[in-house]
Parts: sequence; structure tokens; C-alpha cells
Amino acid sequence: MNYPIWDVSFGAGLLIAIVAITHVFVSHFAVGGGLFLVLTEKRAYRQNDQPLLGWLMRHTKFFVLVTVVFGAVSGVGIWFTIGLIHPSGTSSLIHSYVWGWAIEWVFFFVEITAALLYLYGWKKLNRQTHLWLGWIYFMAAFLSMVIINGIITFMLTSGKWPQTFGFWQGFFNPTYFPSLFLRFAFSLALAGIYALVTGSLQKDQELKGRIVKWSARWIVPAFVLLPVFALWYIGNLPAGVWESAQGKMPTASRYANLILVFSAVTFVLSLLTLFKPKKIPLIFALLIFGSAFVTMWSFEFIREAIRKPYLINNYLYVNSIFKEPVPGSAGMSLAEINLQGVLKTAKWVKNREVTEDNRLEAGREIFRVECRSCHTIDGYRSMRRIIQKRNWPYSTLVARLGALDKMFNGVMPPFAGTEAEKEALAHFVVSLAPGHVVGTATSSGEAVFDQYCSTCHQKEPDDPMFVKFRMLEQVRIYYLISKLDSLNPEIPPFEGTDQERQALSVWILDEFK
Amino acid sequence: MPIDSIIPAVDPMPLPAPFWLFKLLLIFTFILHIIAMNFMLGGGIVAFFTRLFSKSENHKRLFEDTSRKIPSLLAATITLGVAPLLFVQVLYGQFFYTSSILMAWPWFLVIVLLTLGYYGFYTISLKGRPTSGWVIWIMLVSLILIMTIGFFYSNNFTLMQAPERWAAKYQADPSGWNLNWEEHTLIPRFLHFLVGAIAVGSFLIVLSGLFRWKKEQPYAKFLITYGGKWFMYTTMVQFVVGVWFLISLPQSKMMLYLGQNMLATVCLLVGIMGALGAIFVMSGAVRNEDPRRGAITAMGLTTLVLVAMAIMRDILRSSYLAPYFKAENLVVKTQWGVLFLFLLLLIIGLVVWLVMIKKYFFTPGARMPE
Repeated sequence: MNYPIWDVSFGAGLLIAIVAITHVFVSHFAVGGGLFLVLTEKRAYRQNDQPLLGWLMRHTKFFVLVTVVFGAVSGVGIWFTIGLIHPSGTSSLIHSYVWGWAIEWVFFFVEITAALLYLYGWKKLNRQTHLWLGWIYFMAAFLSMVIINGIITFMLTSGKWPQTFGFWQGFFNPTYFPSLFLRFAFSLALAGIYALVTGSLQKDQELKGRIVKWSARWIVPAFVLLPVFALWYIGNLPAGVWESAQGKMPTASRYANLILVFSAVTFVLSLLTLFKPKKIPLIFALLIFGSAFVTMWSFEFIREAIRKPYLINNYLYVNSIFKEPVPGSAGMSLAEINLQGVLKTAKWVKNREVTEDNRLEAGREIFRVECRSCHTIDGYRSMRRIIQKRNWPYSTLVARLGALDKMFNGVMPPFAGTEAEKEALAHFVVSLAPGHVVGTATSSGEAVFDQYCSTCHQKEPDDPMFVKFRMLEQVRIYYLISKLDSLNPEIPPFEGTDQERQALSVWILDEFK
Repeated sequence: MPIDSIIPAVDPMPLPAPFWLFKLLLIFTFILHIIAMNFMLGGGIVAFFTRLFSKSENHKRLFEDTSRKIPSLLAATITLGVAPLLFVQVLYGQFFYTSSILMAWPWFLVIVLLTLGYYGFYTISLKGRPTSGWVIWIMLVSLILIMTIGFFYSNNFTLMQAPERWAAKYQADPSGWNLNWEEHTLIPRFLHFLVGAIAVGSFLIVLSGLFRWKKEQPYAKFLITYGGKWFMYTTMVQFVVGVWFLISLPQSKMMLYLGQNMLATVCLLVGIMGALGAIFVMSGAVRNEDPRRGAITAMGLTTLVLVAMAIMRDILRSSYLAPYFKAENLVVKTQWGVLFLFLLLLIIGLVVWLVMIKKYFFTPGARMPE
């Protein structure tokens, strides 16, 4: 709205995900791994285990090459990427939390220096000084997490911040502590998982056995605690938000299933290492590593998905429209745009109003301004594929655009703009897949439901649609389906055939009466 | 799209501290970043050419000693670069984000190139005593990657102050493959930074000599005089590039430094006199039996020049943006509590950092027993 939109054909959101998730998989290792280094070093001294110390020196080099190089650069990379894709959101985070970032920078500075001195100090420093550096490193890395966690959780559960704009009110928000415990526990698990990888490469089987057992002692307890912290985290989400991951929103629900499967796989595989610790091959360690990666990937995807429609909860929508007018929002709040029109408000558009001649082009610009932060034409969350799959005609689309915030548990921001702009957008979207075919040629009522109703309704007995319909006779339901738009203007008219209407009415009663 | 209607609105959140504090932090951290960058890139370039045309054991040794330091210097460059990048977004976010988006792919590629260059430097550094010839080519590729990043930076930071070009660029290519080729100052500006990096980077060699003076004087003297000569010759080249940069500026901007703006003019004079003085002092030092005093004086003068240049750069940016925006007019609502916490933690962080450095480099008791 305020900034030009970077046209990434395969999907800007996907680019953020790739940069951010690979970063967090390393940055969490940077925290837990720091504690792992010092405690393993102490252990090796205590047990006078020279081979373990030798491995730990090599592991430190691996640690620095992964965290100081890739971790630090990809961390800066997140800033670069979100600044390109969500400049308004990035600007909000910078302006509201600049002193938080500055504090984090102090820790980052200490952390990087300590990591390098710890690495180079292995052959130079006495044990006491070397361990001291390790502790400094770990504390700085942990404190970095303490700060960043506040700002990430603020984006999901902003607490009282949207009313007060107070730094600490946003920082210590409802999910702050559960998220901190969750992330720290996962970072401890990752310390063990990364150690398994370098440990499995050791030729000395006795040493390998000791490393694998020691690593498992980091992974297994952490994975026992993770579900507890996850439940605590879920419990602190606003009512209804978690429902997105329980079936109401496809992305969140898919990853909620994946996280269950892959965290269980990671846990079980890590336990299995204890049976023959001296024999663990690299491929097995990499399997655990990959499984942990999918677990983290899923967690971050769920968090991002359930945060929608917001970029900053209750303040800024994902398409950079302010939820409410705030001083300085420059007319870019929902209500103001509805009044003025999106084309008159957006900075980077050519068409300032919709006419007969420019309808398609104006629709394309509205799509770019309002939808491109999540959707592409043919890439990630392709609009063309959605329209082809749903087979929505123009009239349905206009109705659906009017109730975007009702779809998939409110994952999308409401359409912002005038009626003419909404129609222009519908024209453009429909033009992506011309040749609407009436009906789906199916006689399955459930398939008809999936096609026409499932974007807003759930196959649950307590869904309002079924609560209403199951009290009625089948003939009455059959009749009402043809009058949906008169029951509620936000419901699009039923566009299917008579046969489909019949099948749907029968299925509703069969399923829910 | 008229210029005024496309410049993004200022963020609704007020500045969380007075303008001058952000400006001070921006310039100060930029200077720290640029010194680290100069040592890394300039030191790397000097080391590369030294190895390429190496005539003696000293030359080879210089390459080995210097290349081992580059990864840590790159770490410092990145870490110290985060802060000015943060503060520039606070003060000039609407300009910075927009120009970044217009050249989004090159800007994004900075991260990719940086990662590759970083691993390249580490490959050389961790090889121990590099004997094979391929090491030098990895060095060259990594240096080219870093220079490319510098070139992208020059593009972005000139494009952010030229909103009159934005609309045409976006309409021509919204997919983010634009660069700022139309900018007359682009090449001289980039070269000004590059040549300056080599000049200041030469001090990395000089500094290694200063630290080694007591241990092995002949090699230390070689480092100081060799680095000193690199400094002198590149600073002389810098005079040519600097003049090119100055005359490539639009008349109104050039005149800022020629009397129209007192601070800018004084800074330019300090820059010229400081650089001339540094060359003069260094030319004497490299002929001396003990070049240390002259070398240290030249470094002091160059630091002064760097400060003057950073201020000049800031004046130029403010002048370019003046028709559209004045950061000093931004609404301020200071977050006193967090600001004090930051300052407190900054002091603690600095103390911890200094203690780490002291223990590592200067405390014999912290060393491993022989």
C-alpha cells in the first residue's frame, strides 16, 4: 500500500520462509550449542577424556562455521528479506523496538567475538579462561534469544500494545514465556542433534559411543519437555486462533499434523541411538537432523499461519493495511480505504479509479497491492490454481471477496476498497482461469460441500451451517440452498446444479441429523 | 506517478529517542563499520596482490598472516554493519526500503554473495599454511564477491536519495532487477570507497607490524613500510578519484563542499589536509629506521579524515532528501526506560568485550601452560 510490491513470481512468502527457517534452525543451535560446548568441555576435563576434547575442538570449528558464518549472515538476511517483502511491517518493528534491536546487537557483538575467541583459544588459553569465554558466549547467545523472542511473540500476540504502544506491554506478551521455554528446549535438543552429526563421523568407536550417548542426553529430555511447553504456548493463544491448526485452515492444520509426526520420529530415532551408540552411521544422524528440521519448519509455519491475517497482531494486516486508523497511518487503515478506495490510497499504482476501459488493469493492480503478500499468479498459493480448483464464477467471487475474513477461520484480511474496486479485482481473478464450468458433475454431497462450502464451514456438528440445517426437512434445505445470498449477504449464491443441490441437502441430513 | 505521491508515508510510530541521538549513532557506527570493512576488503586486496607478485618470503608470510585475519574482520564488518543499517531504517526507512525493493534481487543477493565470500575466506584461513596456488584464486573470487556487494550498496544508497527515478524504474521492471546506472556519481562513489578501503586496509598490515615490533623487528619493519607505501600510493590515487566524485555531483551538491555549507566545507578541508598530512608523515616514516611514530600519526590523521568523510556523506544525503523530507522534523516520543537499559547494557557489553580481548591477547596468565 505504502511501498512498491516486489514481484516475486514464485512467491515472496516462500522466500521469507526459506531464509528465516534455515536461519532459526542454525540460530537455535547457536544458543543450545553454546551450553553444550562448555558443559562438554567441563565433562571432558572432569573425566580427563582427551579424545572427547579432541572431538570437541573439531566440533567447535564446525559450530563456528555454521553459526558465526551462516547463522549470522542469514540472520541479517531475514532483515534484508522482510524489508523487501513487508517494508511496512519491518518499519513498524524497527520503530517500535529499535532499542530492543540495539540491545540485541550488543549481545550479538559479544556473542560473535566470544565464539571466535573460544575457537581460536582452544590451543592458546588455559582451561579456566577458555571455559569462561564459553560461558560468556552462551550467556550472550541466550540473551539474544531473550530479546528476539519478545519481538517475535509480540507479532503473534501483541497483548495490550495496540492500545498503549508501550514497549514492555508488547514485549512481555501472553506467549513470551512459553515461547522462550519452547525455543530454549528446542535449542538444547538441537545441540545434541548437531553433535550427533559430527560425532557419527568419528572413527574411534569408543569415542563415538560416548558422544552419541551424551548427545542423546540433550535430545531426549528436551523432547519430553517440548510438548509441555507447546501446550502452555497453545494455551496462551487467543481463543479461536489455535482452531486454525485444528482443521479450519489448511496450511496450519497440515503443519500441525507434520509437527506431531516429525517430532515423534525425531524423539524415537534419538532414543534408538542409545541401543548401539558405537555403530551410529552418519546417515542415521542425518535422518534425525532432517526430521528435526521438518519439526522446526512446521513450527515456524504454524506460527506464521496462525498469526494471519496479521503481520502484527491486531495492528497491521499481512498486506500492510492498518486494522484501525492510528495517528500517522496516512489513510491506510481498513475503514479509511473502504471510504477512499484502495486505488486512491495506494502509493504505487497507475490507475487511480476503475473505469470500463481499465477494469482488468485496475484489478491487476489491486491484486498486487492487496493480495501479493501471500498469493502469486502461478507460483506459491497460486491464484490461478485456486480459481481453477474452486471453479468460482464472477458472481461467487464478488461475494467471497466481500467475506474474505470469514474464510478459513479468518486467515485473510478483509477486502479493503470500494464496491467498484472489489468488482475489478474479481474481474481480474476470474480472468486468470476463464471458462467457468457450471457444476462439478458429482453426485456426492460431501464433494459438493468441499467444493462450495468448505472455505468457510467445517464438517463439525457445531458448525453454524449444520446447526441450522439439521433441524429442517430435506426439501426445505434443498430450497434454502438456492437462496443462500438472501439468508446472509456474505454468503455467495449457490452456483451448482440442481443435482448437486439435491446431493448436498441429503448429505447434510445423513451426516449430521 | 508523481514523485510526491509515491514517496511512502513516514511510519506512524514516533522516533523513540531524539533525532540527534540516532544521527550520532548512525554516523558513529557507520565509521566503525567502514573501518572494519576497509581492513577486511583493503587488507584482503593488499594481501592478494602481495601474494600474486610475491618476491620474498616476507611477501608470502604477509599473505598468510593477513588472510588468516580476514574471516574475523568480516565478522566484525557484518556485526558493526548491523547497527548503522538499523539506524538508517529508523531515520530514512521510507527511502531505504523503496530503493531496496526497486533493486530487490541484487539487494537480496548481497546475502548469498556474502555467505559464499565468507566461506571462501574461511577456506583460506583454516588451511593452515597455504602452499598451493589455488588459495590465491579463492581469495580473488571472494574479494570480487565482496566488491560486488559494495557496488550494490553504492547503488542502493544512491537510489534511495533519488526518488525522481523510482517510478520509471518500477514501471520498467517491478521484479526488482534494477540498478542505479543513471546515477553520475555511482562509479566514482564506488571507486572512492574501494580505493579508500585499500588505503585504510593497508593499516592492517602496518598494525600487524606495530604489534610485532618487539618480537621480530625486521619483519615488523617490513610490514610497516610495505603497508605504509600501499597507503601512500592508494591515497594519491584517491585524490584523483575523490576529485572525480566531487565534480560528478550536481552543481548544487558540489557547492555544498565549496563554501555553501560551512560544516561540509570544513570537513572537505580536513579530509584533504588530513590525507596530505598522512601521506607526508608516512613518507617520512617509511624511510626511518623506526617507522612506528610516523605510522601511528598517519593512522591518527586518517581516522580524522574518515570521521570528516562520514559527516560529508551524511550532509550529502540530507541535502538530496531535503526537498522531500527532513528527518529532524520527525515526531519524537522517547522510550527513556529502554534507552537507559540499552546504554547500560552497551557499557556492560563493552566492558565484557574489552576484558575478553585483554584476556585473549594481553594476559600471559590466561595462556595455556607451555
